[in-house]
Amino acid sequence: MIKILVIFLLIPFCIYSQSKSINFHSPENKKKFADLLFCEGDYLRAVEEYESIRDVIKNDTIDIKIMYCYSEIGLFNESNNSLKRISSNSPFRWAGLHLRLKNKLIENPKGLRVFHDMPSPPDMSERRQKLILTSNLFDEEIIYEKEDFLYVFEKGEGQTISYFYDLKKNPPYKSPALAGFFSAVIPGSGKMYVGEWGDGITALLVTGLLAFLAYDNFKANHNTRAWIFTGLGSFFYAGNIYGSIASAQIFNARIDFEFRDGLNLFLQQKNYFMPEYDFCN
Amino acid sequence: MTFVTELFFKIPLLAIVVINLQAQTTFIDQFYYAKKLFHEEKYFNAVTEFKRLLFFDDTNKYDFEANKFIGLSYKEGSKFSDAIYYFTLAEKNVQNNEELFETRIEIIKINILRRSTGRAFALLDSLQNDNRYINKKDEINYWRGWTYIFSDDWENASSNFESISPNHELKIFSDSINSEFYDVRLSKVLSIFVPGAGQFYTGEYVSGLISLGWNVLWGYLTINAFVDDRIFDGFMIGSLLWWRFYTGNLQNAEKFAVEKNLNITNDALRYLKNIYSGPKP
Amino acid sequence: MIKSNLKIFFLIILISTSAFCQLDNLKWEKAELSYEKPDNFRHRDYSFVFDDTGDFLKKTIAYTYWFFISDVDGDNCPFRPSCSAFLVQSIEKTNIAQGMLAFFDRFTRDMNLYKGHNQYPRFKSSHYYDPPQNYTLNQGTIKYLPSAQIVEE
Repeated sequence: MIKILVIFLLIPFCIYSQSKSINFHSPENKKKFADLLFCEGDYLRAVEEYESIRDVIKNDTIDIKIMYCYSEIGLFNESNNSLKRISSNSPFRWAGLHLRLKNKLIENPKGLRVFHDMPSPPDMSERRQKLILTSNLFDEEIIYEKEDFLYVFEKGEGQTISYFYDLKKNPPYKSPALAGFFSAVIPGSGKMYVGEWGDGITALLVTGLLAFLAYDNFKANHNTRAWIFTGLGSFFYAGNIYGSIASAQIFNARIDFEFRDGLNLFLQQKNYFMPEYDFCN
Repeated sequence: MTFVTELFFKIPLLAIVVINLQAQTTFIDQFYYAKKLFHEEKYFNAVTEFKRLLFFDDTNKYDFEANKFIGLSYKEGSKFSDAIYYFTLAEKNVQNNEELFETRIEIIKINILRRSTGRAFALLDSLQNDNRYINKKDEINYWRGWTYIFSDDWENASSNFESISPNHELKIFSDSINSEFYDVRLSKVLSIFVPGAGQFYTGEYVSGLISLGWNVLWGYLTINAFVDDRIFDGFMIGSLLWWRFYTGNLQNAEKFAVEKNLNITNDALRYLKNIYSGPKP
Repeated sequence: MIKSNLKIFFLIILISTSAFCQLDNLKWEKAELSYEKPDNFRHRDYSFVFDDTGDFLKKTIAYTYWFFISDVDGDNCPFRPSCSAFLVQSIEKTNIAQGMLAFFDRFTRDMNLYKGHNQYPRFKSSHYYDPPQNYTLNQGTIKYLPSAQIVEE
């Protein structure tokens, strides 16, 4: 009798306490919270939450999100290692493989040719081809012909890739040797050839002025001053040739920088041709 | 009692015990846990736990406190933009005027710390003009004084602290700092008339002597060249040398005064940060 | 059998904890906040430690120039490093001949009244960033930065 009384007293108490408390750290609630953090872009916190439940809730969606979070916060090794947890039968397996390629490309921008012949389903194959072909533009030389390069891209993308391809094949470099030669003939003209008109005109004026002062002082028999101006003029003349060569090299470095920067921007805009999953709606 | 009957009572009792042995946490427990992390200076984790509380709190009972502590955590991590964002969220969930005032003051403090003093002044003015806070005049003037300190206006800072109390510690401190500053304009004017005088005023005697020496030398050579009818020489020495060292003398007069004042300011700020025991941003 | 299982167990613990250690490195902590205003004034580093005679000569000339001329005639160089520092660093990176030629080229560029416009990135102090490593005639050492970039001091 007492036992029945105890049970019936305990039950409402337990129901009451259930309604005012929650297991914040239960796997299900952690997952809900982690999903919120993921959708807010707080990837560092989200991956911590997901990692704490991944052994309890075995779910490919969680595994691909973990992979994605690590990639977003720059821990590419951890992101790639998380791929092992995604089973080969999972629909996210190919997305995970593609994400691994993306990580490799961000870490070390160079051609991903070795992954060219990896098998993949048709919808992923085209994405992978796009990423691998685009990655080849980071290499020193492109081994593909233009037709073999552009076939997989749609019209809009194709125009952009075609632009990058042409830029890679025929970069608008300036010849340092030619710049130096121009400046040797006409001081400052090498800099003008590279596009630095202000520096070129200044070099021309300075060298010209010192040459005139040297000549004028020799003519007036002020030999000491004349030799000073001659010496200064010679240094500025030689410096102008040296600077023209350096300017051409810096110009070429700028071409390379803008190419890589533009290509990275294009890849970021395309999200590295990753398949799109709407995890937040 | 038969075995079956006993089992009928024991199983539900066991179930009740098991259910209650699971980690059920009340919202207040989660709040105190997050607060504990905050007081242990584990600010990143504190933010996570407060965010967790906010996510599961359907009643919005903890919106103000949780957002406030998230803001304080970000402030401790010097993430001022995030801190202001969460204080603004806290402001939207205030229950009374005290909480609103408290949040506004926190936002003002962050604007002081990141030196967006214009914004701090605007917020202080809005509090001053708010009839609900007539009795908070002293506190508003106190933070206005701090805002003036961070704007490098020690004179106005002093007058604000004086309005709280004529012998306020920070009023006396501000006055003493203000009296130590060098007059930048005076330093420049002295150097206009006597090259090197501004440097002497700021205690840079060696620099002042060298500056005076160069100006005297080039001035003599320039005037001498003009007197000897060597106009071109006079013009070249005057423009390339005398003028350069004269303007350099003016620059240094200003620079040394500004630099010395910066050292005085930073010493004062260091004292306020490390030694002053009153409320600080 | 038990030993190998234990090894695997500890390996799993190590891997899982090392993953979290990486995350711990990324978590921000309490920042040491300073009230002080930044000091952007140039402070010369007069080091009187000499490696050899050449170093002694180079530093003597440089320090004499800085002390008697450069620090007195005002901040006329819009570039960082300044022209004199550029000369010293260029000679250190290459040789005296190349260093001198790079210096004269720098001096010419300094005289350009229309410089800077879309040509050099800037520091917060508004000086142009123009490092000598870009003028060694070695394409591999060039570190190009776009002109719109603000360079950290």
